[in-house]
Amino acid sequence: MHSKSPGTIFDGKTTMIQLIHVSKQYDQRSALSDVTLEIDKGEFVLLMGPSGAGKSTLLRLLIGAEQPDEGQIFVHQKNVTTLKPSEIPYLRRKVGTVFQDFRLLPKKSVFDNVALPLLVQGVSSADIRRKVTEALRAVGVEHKRDQFPAGLSTGEQQRVCIARAIVNGPVVLLADEPTGNLDPVLTTEIIELFKLINARGTTVVVATHDPLVMTQVNRRVLTLSQGRLLPEQRGLA
Amino acid sequence: MRTLSYLLRESWVNMRTNRMTTMVAILTTAFTLACVGIFLLLYVNLRAAAGWLQDDIKIMVYLDDRLASDSIAAVEQHLRGDRAVASLVFISKEQALGEFKAQFPSESHLLEGLGQNPLPASFVVALSPLSRSPDSVKRWAERVRQVAGVSKVDYNQDWIDALATVIRSIELVAIGIGVILSAAAVTIIANTIRLTLFSRRDEIAILRLIGATTSFIRIPYLVEGAVLGALGSTLSLVMLKFMYELFRQQMRATGRFAGLDNLMAFFPPSVCLALIAVGMGLGFAGSFVSIRRFGEGKA
Repeated sequence: MHSKSPGTIFDGKTTMIQLIHVSKQYDQRSALSDVTLEIDKGEFVLLMGPSGAGKSTLLRLLIGAEQPDEGQIFVHQKNVTTLKPSEIPYLRRKVGTVFQDFRLLPKKSVFDNVALPLLVQGVSSADIRRKVTEALRAVGVEHKRDQFPAGLSTGEQQRVCIARAIVNGPVVLLADEPTGNLDPVLTTEIIELFKLINARGTTVVVATHDPLVMTQVNRRVLTLSQGRLLPEQRGLA
Repeated sequence: MRTLSYLLRESWVNMRTNRMTTMVAILTTAFTLACVGIFLLLYVNLRAAAGWLQDDIKIMVYLDDRLASDSIAAVEQHLRGDRAVASLVFISKEQALGEFKAQFPSESHLLEGLGQNPLPASFVVALSPLSRSPDSVKRWAERVRQVAGVSKVDYNQDWIDALATVIRSIELVAIGIGVILSAAAVTIIANTIRLTLFSRRDEIAILRLIGATTSFIRIPYLVEGAVLGALGSTLSLVMLKFMYELFRQQMRATGRFAGLDNLMAFFPPSVCLALIAVGMGLGFAGSFVSIRRFGEGKA
């Protein structure tokens, strides 16, 4: 494997995510063991592996929600392992996150849920209106803007979650089991949405144990097994 | 602007969501601060009373009976030259006798039996405001006692000392109770905020994941604590004012302390505002304690 310094351009590409010999343990149980990988800017990567393989741990490490026991992690040219706690929110503003359980605020409307990442950044009201409308349109739920999460279908809730993740134009989109609660038809729709977001230049990393996702994405596949990274393969077209 | 309105709205939503807890917190804070307020009010009024007594203090400088008139003039000149003296009035032996007879007509025959007027001439001295503290009065009296021709210096020191001791005791009790009950108010508000934090822990986790800074997450809870404290202290002032008026009315009705009710005073507006600010500060502190305990990594 080529070894580039983080964030440098190599062969016309820029490294967006880099893990160097990263290990993480929970109560002496190894969640990740000596993982080294690089993801370039604009890539669409599937992170596969059974439950407990370390996929979620890896995503949590990328947003600074956990610190590795060993190794270095770079995201968008920032060394996540050396960031101060006060700097982590600014990293997360560059990284959109989509969750299996959507994590929408039940007492806020679709519009207000999607507006949250902009609010925390102090974006003006006019820009919030414009960007939220664009994000909702991009995921196809613009007509649901005034509804509350409880009134939405699971597919719609996941779309709102994706809209919230992309509303501030992140450079990376991380999705942790985004289709775990969806049927095959909705899974296909959501994966198509990720492809569309990736086509606009956002680096997308989807962690999943669902083989259906792999069959729909003819992209790079990173497989974790018991915390170790297996040799790479590609998804099936 | 939108962010600010969002943060304030969140504080309001927190309070509305936990309506019952909020009400209980405001009421218990109000009762707690009212207890402190009672001592404070007592302290303020007693200090004012001590001030009036101190202002009213008259020092009697008795002169030696054998003193010639030119020596009396010398003592007067000495006293008038003293910067601590605000005013003085000379009372001759004859005037003193006349006043005694006027005040105690039934006892006047006692003096007549002595043949000559036993009452000494004196100066009634009022000290300037800066020299009216008990210590200053004491020092001044000791100094004047040494002046040639002065036989005795008398003033109601016992009274003033006793009142000063009472005020100091009330001051200490007020400080002690104030500290304990303020800590109680902080704890009450801290627990209320902890409940809010617990009920909104999922929301806090989401806010952190989407890049909210620690201060963005904390502000609504700090505002909530400050508002609870301010409302609690405002309510305590209302309760105190009500109790104060009731007490004055009772005093008037019984007629036992006629006139005293007019000397009593409630906190002036500036002190009321300061007390509300103190309540706000206690609420803020309570909220801060809760947020810290809830976890740096969570809120």
